[in-house]
Amino acid sequence: MHQSLRFQWNGLVFDISAIIMMIVTSLVVVLLLVALTRNLTAGVPKGKQNLVEWFADFVQGIAGGFMKPKVAAGFITLGLTLLLYIFVGNQLGLVLNINTSHHEVSESLMDKLTTATSPEAAEAKRQVIEEELHNPEGHGVVVSWWKSPTATPSVTFALAIAVLLYSHYLGIRKSFGGWAKHTFLNPIHLLEEIVIKPLTLPLRLFGNIFAGEVLIAFLLGVGIFGTIPLLVWLGYSVFVGTIQTYIFVTLTMVYISQQINDQH
Amino acid sequence: MIDFGAVSLEWGTMLVQLIVFLILLLIVKKVAAGPIVAIMEKRRQHIENEITTAERNRQESEALLAEQRRLLDEARLETKGIIERATKQANEESSRIIQEAQETAARLKEQASAELAREVEKAKAELRNQMAGLSVMLASKIIEKELDEAAQKATVDKFLAQVGDRL
Repeated sequence: MHQSLRFQWNGLVFDISAIIMMIVTSLVVVLLLVALTRNLTAGVPKGKQNLVEWFADFVQGIAGGFMKPKVAAGFITLGLTLLLYIFVGNQLGLVLNINTSHHEVSESLMDKLTTATSPEAAEAKRQVIEEELHNPEGHGVVVSWWKSPTATPSVTFALAIAVLLYSHYLGIRKSFGGWAKHTFLNPIHLLEEIVIKPLTLPLRLFGNIFAGEVLIAFLLGVGIFGTIPLLVWLGYSVFVGTIQTYIFVTLTMVYISQQINDQH
Repeated sequence: MIDFGAVSLEWGTMLVQLIVFLILLLIVKKVAAGPIVAIMEKRRQHIENEITTAERNRQESEALLAEQRRLLDEARLETKGIIERATKQANEESSRIIQEAQETAARLKEQASAELAREVEKAKAELRNQMAGLSVMLASKIIEKELDEAAQKATVDKFLAQVGDRL
């Protein structure tokens, strides 16, 4: 099992490799957009401008499926950012994997490896690491540095909860009474809003990408016989990453539309 | 917070992700979404303008075409009228000329025959005058030569022959 380095600050736990990958992903997205949006023209678009306009059109198309086109235009920035961030994030773990293998763990490294939100979890981690260190057939403790940020649950939960809170904010801004009636009067709606949506939206993305990375790590460990399955699985993972991006953006737009369209 | 070994939720990581995402949102809006939406809107308006202009131009040219057709028809009609009138005039002119010519010819013929009759009359008068003179001359010659029947007869015959030749 790949480990992550974490550190604690003011009682908050931070996953170092996840933060590195967030920043790398964001940088890739920004550089991509900067490269694509140079020399924009209102005339006949060419090459890269076509691509970036297609992104915008695509996002507007998704949003436009659930709300009026005028309203949908207001969510292009959110949709485009989610689309590119999740897509790039999903694919980054496929193009590259940087791991380090440690057969000896210093005390400070052990601290970073076992940092967890509870002492019990820290103790469980320490046990796993001890086992890995003393397993003569294993690779020692494997620390991952480069992986999909979306393979980290904190990342997908943060995105999903931000999006859901934003959708509730839009609903409350539209009409507090309508929002409250819709959310609290029907127990099924209440369950949906406070349990189902906040769990399914992030876990769907995380589960797909995490499972993909676990299987890639496993196939890499198999050796020469794993090559063909690995290639097949990498291709499939590109597809899964794309589809999951589309699903996340679409559901975001659905949840927003449920809050801003007339309640039923 | 929640920890299942490899799968754990950490407030710190979530907070960083939230901040990173908000910053990314701002950058995307500034760098891409804003300019792209603006440019697409500008293009939409431009195309709308072009379509409106094209539609207006089409209507204008249709109106012009109808106008031109009408003018052409008018001109054609006018030409037809002019040709008809000209033909009619020419026909009238030619018949007038022919009539005039006929009249002139008739007049000239009349004049010529009148002249001829006058000439004949004149000649006859002159002949008569000469006949009187010749008769006197004949009588005087007869008186001069006494009355010789044979000679007289010969003289009269001769004279008559002379007159016949003259006439």
